[in-house]
Amino acid sequence: MQMNEDLIKQITNAVLAEMKQKGKDTGTTAVPSVSAMPSMAGRERIHEEKTSYASWAKAKKGTDPKEVVIGVGAAFQREIQKTICGIPLDDVLENVKAGIEEEGMVPRVVKILDTSDVCFMALEAAKLSGSGIGIGIQSKGTTVIHQKDLYPLSNLELFPQAPLMDLETYRKIGQNAAKYVKGEQVVPIPSTNDPMSRPKYQVKAALMHIAETEQLDPETGIIEWEGR
Amino acid sequence: MKKSKRIETLDKRPVNMDGYINEWPEMGFVAMASPYDPKPSIKVENGKIIELDGKKREDFDFIDQFIADYAIHTGRAEKSMTVPSLDIARMIVDIHVSRKEILEIVSGITPAKMVEVMNHLNVVELMMGMQKMRARRMPGNQAHITNLKDDPVQIAADAAEGALRGFAEEETTMGVARYAPLSAIALLIGSQVGRPGILTQCSAEEATELELGIRGLTTYAETLSVYGTEKVFIDGDDTPYSKAFLNSAYASRGLKVRFTSGSGSEVLMGNSEKKSMLYLECRCLYATKGAGSQGIQNGSVSCIGVPGAVPGGIREVMSENLVAALLGLECASSNDQSFSNSDMRRTARTMLQFLPGTDFIFSGYAGEPNYDNMFAGSNFDAEDFDDYNVLQRDMQVDGGLRPVTEEEVIHVRQKAGKAVQAVFRQLGLSPISDEQVEAVTYAHGSKDTLPRDVTADLMAAEDVLKRGITGIDVVKALAESGYQDLAEHVLSMLKQRVAGDYMQTAAILDRDFHVLSGVNTPNDYMGPGTGYRVEGERWEEIKKIPHIINPQDI
Repeated sequence: MQMNEDLIKQITNAVLAEMKQKGKDTGTTAVPSVSAMPSMAGRERIHEEKTSYASWAKAKKGTDPKEVVIGVGAAFQREIQKTICGIPLDDVLENVKAGIEEEGMVPRVVKILDTSDVCFMALEAAKLSGSGIGIGIQSKGTTVIHQKDLYPLSNLELFPQAPLMDLETYRKIGQNAAKYVKGEQVVPIPSTNDPMSRPKYQVKAALMHIAETEQLDPETGIIEWEGR
Repeated sequence: MKKSKRIETLDKRPVNMDGYINEWPEMGFVAMASPYDPKPSIKVENGKIIELDGKKREDFDFIDQFIADYAIHTGRAEKSMTVPSLDIARMIVDIHVSRKEILEIVSGITPAKMVEVMNHLNVVELMMGMQKMRARRMPGNQAHITNLKDDPVQIAADAAEGALRGFAEEETTMGVARYAPLSAIALLIGSQVGRPGILTQCSAEEATELELGIRGLTTYAETLSVYGTEKVFIDGDDTPYSKAFLNSAYASRGLKVRFTSGSGSEVLMGNSEKKSMLYLECRCLYATKGAGSQGIQNGSVSCIGVPGAVPGGIREVMSENLVAALLGLECASSNDQSFSNSDMRRTARTMLQFLPGTDFIFSGYAGEPNYDNMFAGSNFDAEDFDDYNVLQRDMQVDGGLRPVTEEEVIHVRQKAGKAVQAVFRQLGLSPISDEQVEAVTYAHGSKDTLPRDVTADLMAAEDVLKRGITGIDVVKALAESGYQDLAEHVLSMLKQRVAGDYMQTAAILDRDFHVLSGVNTPNDYMGPGTGYRVEGERWEEIKKIPHIINPQDI
């Protein structure tokens, strides 16, 4: 959301400057009564630029039975740098990968450009994975562990409340995904729940999802992604 | 700038922790009217709709086509469309115009026309409309029964207590999806301990939910989601046609089912096509009607943070509930998701459905503390039970709940826990200790209960599916472990599926398993002196809240 926040700041500053000017014109009686938040009405996108990945290497289906594929969102580490609660996406990815490696398995990262739905992202990652286990991570931080032969909206583990995630949880997600590969009895990461995250975060979640969705490029599909 | 202490105090108020956003129609952040919403129109040729809301048939997307083919009464359409929207709005609040007459007129109007009608009504008029248009004569209520540990013993105990408190339907879901079969069994048993005749549901991935229903481990289904734009439908790997098939699959096995929709979902998924939330929700409701569903759960539901953030958003939420009722659908009117940090704001939002009464005011109310609510928190929870009972008593309104005594609560919680313990033992599932039952009996939430062996539970859950355990196996296990009464209750719930009467619009069951629906007990409100009134035994029950002063103690 970096660019969007910058944009809002820019517009806000412009409006404030204008208000100051008006204040001068009318002397000391003017009261700044208008809300400083400008309207976005009329704009069709959050980020004017769309990144092209047409020249990037397409993701291949893996053959290594130790492989866990991580499918990240279209805006991941580009238009969006941090999760909804401000964790840098570089650190998120590093921890998931470290978790997988700690359990002796091999991570591979792809960027998914044909869907921004986290369940489908995770399933596509699983289908590309040599082991059949995949992880989907949206840029806002929502994460799913999936297995290639499950129904799309089913999953092995789902972490729907992105505002409650921390790096330790991302690391455990990597570990658990690896354990599924090894066929171990896996104890799912305990659920967390904050009933008040919706009123605070839902609009931000919608904006971040729009920012991710507008970067989709279904014709390019899925590409190999090793970070920026 | 020097800071104002007044503003500083206001800034810290809970209401300012909520998220708000300006209207932004291009992204769908607009409640009831977007400049991009279509104008109402219809053209019918040879009984076929060839133009709908400004779009020619050849330009229809699959939602338009589905609505045109299945959701609008073509014989009525041209006549209904000539009635000015303002006139229809006035009829809705006119006590001299019956529900039946309005259903007839509305059956011929298009989604865009419906949006126009709603835009003529303020919130009080919307409530007046709901009081008349609700399908069932008596309002009802639904609970969420869940916990952080997915502990089946707690599900059973909370279900029993919820049923005792008056909920007519109970819905569970899981933190770990694979727990579903155990959650469904625990809910089925526990609910019947609290009050015979409670309907139960396990919200899970669609195929799993259908399987649990077919096996008789649940008695209704609700999570058939529909969306207002084609793109969002496709993203969910669905179409209105696939939902209609799924609906039929439930119907073929005699299960009650309702669809789910709600404003804001298209915005959240980034595909609102610049339309207002109300217009998109109208499309969902028409698709629901076209698919032959008896009802809908709507009112933004899990996306409430989106309409809640824009101007007029809560008016929009009530509008969509009323549109459902106007289309003759059972309306389970949301209020089921945490919505605001402000107690004042969250209560005010619920009054719109509570005061007129809907088929299910909540869908549902957290029958546990919100930290245990696995739908990510409801608008009201177990800690609000007494507030809610007092609201019913203050206003002489039937919100579907009743005051209870501590003795009753402990009794039903314990019985439910023991019954589930016995059934798990009988069916060879994961063991439940006496200590667990005891802890759950006296618990408020999962912070007060003992840990479960998750691995053993998940193996047992898988086992239930593999061995093909059904509702009849649960009946047998109850009977064989000495719970004859519960065995009969669960069996009676299964029998409903053979009779099928509870598939009628807005059906619930009373404690004798008699169906109360919009068909045999239709809403007959036509102003003062008519319709459902809180009186007699029910009023006496509502009056009996705890903590009443005894004058003799003074």
